[in-house]
Amino acid sequence: MSSENVLEKLNSKYEETINIAKKGTHCGMCRFDFLGTGLCPSGKKHGFLAYWPQGRMQIFKNLMSGKVKPTKKLIEIVNSCSLCGICDKQCNFATQLRPEKVAKALKEYVEEIDKEELQNIPEDKNVIELRKIVGEEWATNDSIITSSYISSIIAPDSKFNFYIVMPKDAEELSKVIKYANSNNLPYLPRSGGTLLSMAAPTVLSNAFGLEKGIVIDLLRMNQLEIHPESQTATVGAGITAFELQKEAHKHKLRANVAEAGAHVCSNIASTGILSTWGNKYGWAADNFIDVETVDDEGNISYHSDLEIENPYTTEYGFTNISLVPPLIVTKVTTRLNPVYDDEEAVFVPFENIQDAIDLSFKIARRGMGFSNVILSRKYLAEFISPTPKIAEDFEYILEKYLKLNYAVDIICNSDEKKIIEGMVDYTIDKSTLKSLILGCPKLSTLKDSEFMKILSEEKDPLKAIFAGPMKEHFEKALDATPENISKIYDEDLQDFFKKAYSKPEMTNIIWLHEHRIFPSRLMRQRMFLPMGGVIWTEYEKNLLDWINMFIEVGDKNKLIHALGFISPFDQGRFACLEYDFYYDHNDPDAKKRVDNAIIESQEKSLQIDGILSALNFYFKGLYRKEHVLFPIAKAISDDDQELFRELLKNIIGEV
Amino acid sequence: MVKFLSEEWIEIGKNYILDRLDPIKDLKSITTSLLGVVEHIPPDDITMNFYLELEDGKLNDFIVNTGDTFEEKKATYEIRGNYGTYKSILMGEMSLGIAVLKNRLIVKGSKLQALKLIKPLDGVIVALKEITDEFEA
Repeated sequence: MSSENVLEKLNSKYEETINIAKKGTHCGMCRFDFLGTGLCPSGKKHGFLAYWPQGRMQIFKNLMSGKVKPTKKLIEIVNSCSLCGICDKQCNFATQLRPEKVAKALKEYVEEIDKEELQNIPEDKNVIELRKIVGEEWATNDSIITSSYISSIIAPDSKFNFYIVMPKDAEELSKVIKYANSNNLPYLPRSGGTLLSMAAPTVLSNAFGLEKGIVIDLLRMNQLEIHPESQTATVGAGITAFELQKEAHKHKLRANVAEAGAHVCSNIASTGILSTWGNKYGWAADNFIDVETVDDEGNISYHSDLEIENPYTTEYGFTNISLVPPLIVTKVTTRLNPVYDDEEAVFVPFENIQDAIDLSFKIARRGMGFSNVILSRKYLAEFISPTPKIAEDFEYILEKYLKLNYAVDIICNSDEKKIIEGMVDYTIDKSTLKSLILGCPKLSTLKDSEFMKILSEEKDPLKAIFAGPMKEHFEKALDATPENISKIYDEDLQDFFKKAYSKPEMTNIIWLHEHRIFPSRLMRQRMFLPMGGVIWTEYEKNLLDWINMFIEVGDKNKLIHALGFISPFDQGRFACLEYDFYYDHNDPDAKKRVDNAIIESQEKSLQIDGILSALNFYFKGLYRKEHVLFPIAKAISDDDQELFRELLKNIIGEV
Repeated sequence: MVKFLSEEWIEIGKNYILDRLDPIKDLKSITTSLLGVVEHIPPDDITMNFYLELEDGKLNDFIVNTGDTFEEKKATYEIRGNYGTYKSILMGEMSLGIAVLKNRLIVKGSKLQALKLIKPLDGVIVALKEITDEFEA
């Protein structure tokens, strides 16, 4: 039988599991324990992405598309999975996928395959030398293992000319880099890989990914120590935001972290930990006391070294684009912040964005609040809703009936809460928010109900439902219980999710803001590309123009698109904006449209005064924010616009 | 076709730039000088330098030497990178812009000014691509 026929037969046999594998987006939620399930035993033991659920999905997809041929290593990978089911619980929470079905199919595929067909990938000189540095089991050139890194650091159309190494510390990493340099091998570090996986399906793939050489997987650098006396933590490059936050919390301390699956060190190097807590806790170099880094010559240094050149400054201007971190951060001593007993969540709904901006910026400029963000309707719906369908219906209800398009979302102390409540007509309280989290499946069923139609005819439906006489009835109608929300899950997972949603933290707004497990849902079953950047709030009048530009570009390219969030920082001097383009990463036409949208919106962002766009923002997190953000950026000249176009073309090619 | 950084490469490269590249159209009438430092050249892990001087888009000088230093002339820009990176650029696997933005080529001098040279330098690279396809393994 020809290889095409074999593939055709396999594709028909495994149609369901191939579909699951294709919907995987490398969100990384299967690589840390956020639901108390424990970790995938195979991934924990072997480390390489191939042994984690996300890697198995990628391998299965590669095998079924004929991109890679099975190797002898595949048997070991398949046998290392005990089908314990942890991945189904974790993945289902974030994406509603069942990766265990893929693991089972992979086992079945291997059982049936003629073992003579399994390729033996011989060690070459490079892998032998790399193993001398990191140990026998932590370097490989096996094509099945390297293929598991496709779409998360390796471009989908790359050849398998790669090595994967997992150094345990900065010393080993230094030796790997020195070896790579003297043997002319390109290399790139990888931690959580989400930024890289967002770029991988797009024109940004070549810019951000690795074309050949050594993928340096930093997962083994898993040192994590909390120092309560100095309110700091020592964090290795393999540690995720969630893991740090969980440990810090045991000491009534809080780290400023990104989404749960983001690795702390790489996040510092990439976007400088841009969170909703930035107005109080800072951004970029504000976040750390010291960092251990390895440079591109393999030199290990610390920012606290007196001999090093000023590490906090960077060239200014729109051409200051970096596609890689200036240094690989292997360890950070990060600042932790006290958690107070009287912390509160204040949630103020708005129909109009200008009203939301006015309130959020006013609070930020007065230095109030620990966390301050304007969340869009889209984010609210995606975060809270356990399935894409519920999110869609929920968003429809927010827009059409409740007229809740934006929410100013503040975590503050009890005194500040009183002040903020005095600044607005009404707020959504904790009990309603809890009801919305647990009751969103029920709410989504009210999409075409008379109740919603009547409500929408109210002068202020938000006030009526969240602060008026209807509040009690509304909460009651949502029937918000862990048992009810668990019913939306597959039958065999319902008991688990009933218990999971019964945990107080799952409906604790402050805990959810700190541990950030909900944002992973933005990557469920399809990809999104975050655009945006930073705007000086003195140029607030340009903020709406900027958002309207994204709307226009998104519409023109027929994408699902929406504002994500706006969050002030540095006492309200600046605000960070994220605007997202959503698309099916398996659809070549959608990919083309998102490519156009990236380029067009990037170019147009530079034509607005007061903006530092996303592409100029990446990999600046090790610097002082003052060096990145000052002086105020002006719209670039026509000549510079021409230069930028050339530069963009040079980076990403013609689209 | 000649070997990258060989004597022949310099000669043919010079002639190619002079004969085939239009100072205005291809080289945008630039006046600049550039020192390219090529590190880790196999098999003996040596360093070589090539110095390129253009005046109003005309090639004034093209010098290659071996060693860690180049003191014959002072260049406006220095671009440093390993042999593999130069090879990738000359083989068309990677653009000059990406190499700079990925820190594969380290620029000494203003990055903004250096990036402005990318377009005219692309002309030089196209020329060098035409004459080179032999590299160390």
